[in-house]
Amino acid sequence: MTKETRALSKVRIVDLTDERAIYGVKLLADLGADAVRPVPKEGDPLEQRGPFDGTTGKSLWYAFHASSRRLFHVSCSKESNRQLQRLCENADVVVANSGHPFEAFLDLDEIRKKNEKCVVVDCTSFGRMGPWKNYLAPDLVAGALGGSVAITGDVDTPPLKPFGDLNFTVSGAYVAIAALAGLRHARETGEGQVIHVPVHECIASCLEHVFMFYLFGNIFRNARGGVLNRRGSLHWTDLYEVMTAKNGHIMVTPTPSLDNQLVWLIEEDAFDDLLDPKYQEPGERGQWARRMMDVLRSWVAEKDVKSLFFDAQKHHAPYGWVQSIPQVAENPQLAARNWWSTAKIDGDDVKISGAPYQMSESKTSPRDLPSVSVSDQDVLEVCGWRKSS
Amino acid sequence: MRLEKVQLRPLEGIKILDFTHVLAGPFCTRLLADMGADVVKVNSESRMQINAPAGPYFTMWNRNKRTISLDMNHEPARKVAGQLAQMADVVIDNFSMGVLDRWGIGFDDVSQVNGKVIYVQMSGMGSGGPWSNFVTYAPTIHALAGLTYTTGVSGRENIGLGFSYNDHQAGLHAAVAVLSAVEARRHSGKGQRIDISQFEVAVNLLGPTFMHYFRNDQPTEPSGNDLQYDRIAPHGCYRCKDSAVDGEVSERWIAIACLDDAHWNSLCDAMNRPDWTKDLQLETAEGRYVQRRYVDEQIGKWTSEFDPLILMEELQGMGVPAGVVQDGRDLMENDPQLQESKFIRTIEEPHPRMGEIYADKLPIEFESTSCEIYKRARLLGEDNESILSDWLGIDKETVQKGEEDGYFR
Repeated sequence: MTKETRALSKVRIVDLTDERAIYGVKLLADLGADAVRPVPKEGDPLEQRGPFDGTTGKSLWYAFHASSRRLFHVSCSKESNRQLQRLCENADVVVANSGHPFEAFLDLDEIRKKNEKCVVVDCTSFGRMGPWKNYLAPDLVAGALGGSVAITGDVDTPPLKPFGDLNFTVSGAYVAIAALAGLRHARETGEGQVIHVPVHECIASCLEHVFMFYLFGNIFRNARGGVLNRRGSLHWTDLYEVMTAKNGHIMVTPTPSLDNQLVWLIEEDAFDDLLDPKYQEPGERGQWARRMMDVLRSWVAEKDVKSLFFDAQKHHAPYGWVQSIPQVAENPQLAARNWWSTAKIDGDDVKISGAPYQMSESKTSPRDLPSVSVSDQDVLEVCGWRKSS
Repeated sequence: MRLEKVQLRPLEGIKILDFTHVLAGPFCTRLLADMGADVVKVNSESRMQINAPAGPYFTMWNRNKRTISLDMNHEPARKVAGQLAQMADVVIDNFSMGVLDRWGIGFDDVSQVNGKVIYVQMSGMGSGGPWSNFVTYAPTIHALAGLTYTTGVSGRENIGLGFSYNDHQAGLHAAVAVLSAVEARRHSGKGQRIDISQFEVAVNLLGPTFMHYFRNDQPTEPSGNDLQYDRIAPHGCYRCKDSAVDGEVSERWIAIACLDDAHWNSLCDAMNRPDWTKDLQLETAEGRYVQRRYVDEQIGKWTSEFDPLILMEELQGMGVPAGVVQDGRDLMENDPQLQESKFIRTIEEPHPRMGEIYADKLPIEFESTSCEIYKRARLLGEDNESILSDWLGIDKETVQKGEEDGYFR
């Protein structure tokens, strides 16, 4: 394995993203793309996002999301704008969020005229048309309108936002895919293009059962008017649920084999009425499955959560022990795979997440965290982006 | 060979051999198929329970692919699978570790005869390590990775995400990895193995949270709709006037997120609360955060009088980030943006068993290489002939014999 090699080491990216797409450029930059991010002299607005380092006061959110980038200062001067324009004219990919402060400086037509191969990914909140196109949508609002909030939460809580920026990491991942697909086409044909990625559609496309329930509502017993309201951890199949054990919580499911789960309950003399012949009647399988969930709730309540989790895995049952952040940080699987990584932030080593994939011929973990390493004297020169031609 | 400069989908010419099932893997290959890759999905009668090709779940995640049926219990089927793998640009599976190895089409076998292959294994826990053989679905991963713990309200560990979020994310990240390997191969001439742990995909999404823990020794706790690390308020979901649909009362909610003073001042205007703009305790974001329960209560009283759609339009018009909490019905019936983009469309060819079926649009719009092609999910073995002819040059009679003998089933 050639660890020094990174999959995207021959890709140049100009990163004009905000929260909606910055995760996408992170993915590309961590894979080796030379991603240059212009920032205002007074600082990147995203550096205001917490959490912050308790010692230095620096934004850890920003360190994570802007990893593996080169930053350079841009002002509102004509010279600065010219440099940014030239940078884009020499890039393979430009990723921009509509409304980004520097986007207005760019002449997209000029960029495409001078660089026909350039792929421009334009990430908007709601697309370029329609009555909501100018709506403001931070992650919570984007998730509300996109559909993820309505199905998260419980009957006794408000609808809940998925933790952190989980809506914008979806749009970010789509942005990375769009850039790479556009790049592949450009490499094959020499033709760049503009690609549009609306956050709203990205979120709506990742809702698992939601459209299925509406479109095939007649098939699903628990769909009321094609909608399944929020109901805590209970999955749309009724067969996955976080249950309470003696000393913790565990996601329990009798799938993929209810029969195997029954055998386990029989072994433990905890099968209750699950062998009742009434459940063998035609059409009673669903009722039997729901009854099994009731039996499991009682059974789990008497169990030590850790033992139950490992017992389940021995039984090939995909139970999941609900882990807090410190528990995940100590997870033996992550440790065994040397997953956590280290990167430098202002000369300090910082422990950070590893990569979401490992590649046999390409290093994937984040490189150093962002710092202003490129002067604005001559951006192309310093970036080494001056075309040989 | 360079493609002609004509309007093609961006991934035309990429051949993918797809051994995935359920959601995470099929979602990845669906994305790649939507963008023009020739995805051949391997299925068999013996795995029908998981992959039932005539159910709505399967049809949602397997459009735009072709299907071949191979009963891997038979040596001739395994041999054909090996030949297909030899021709593939990408081989992808999300079985438990080792299944494809046992069939003789693991990475070591395939890469010996196809040095350019990009071989993707997207298992639950990744290759190697004490948990590598653990069985997982998305709710398992959510629990183990901290997503269930953190998505909830204080004192509750049993809420979590209401859908298989991480299956989608694993699929998206797998697509990123595949396309990156395609770019790498262009320069190196070599394929490679990609090991995707769906668990690691999920943990990575909490990156800043773990940095906070490692640097500051502070574990993050669930905080409902508050931002975990930014002292900003109001930021929540507020109950609106209920609505009645088909005689059933339905809760309605609106999300409001005031990220700065301008948003707050506009909200005060909308609520006709000039007293709040003069209240020193609410003058700063920090002050509003400290008083957030009072502010939330007051906003909730106000929103409860309104229809959320009308309120959203008013608030957005005044520069306040606000959005209706939309459920599936809203998305299908009331969302003008999704209607504008024809986000849900009927697939032209009816499904032979299910009749009319639908596709949700790929949320990526290419200006030059349109991906507006949506073909229905295929039945078991429906494309045996075309696939074996296109990829391996096998004639129709041989395919028919294989079907009769039970290999291609």
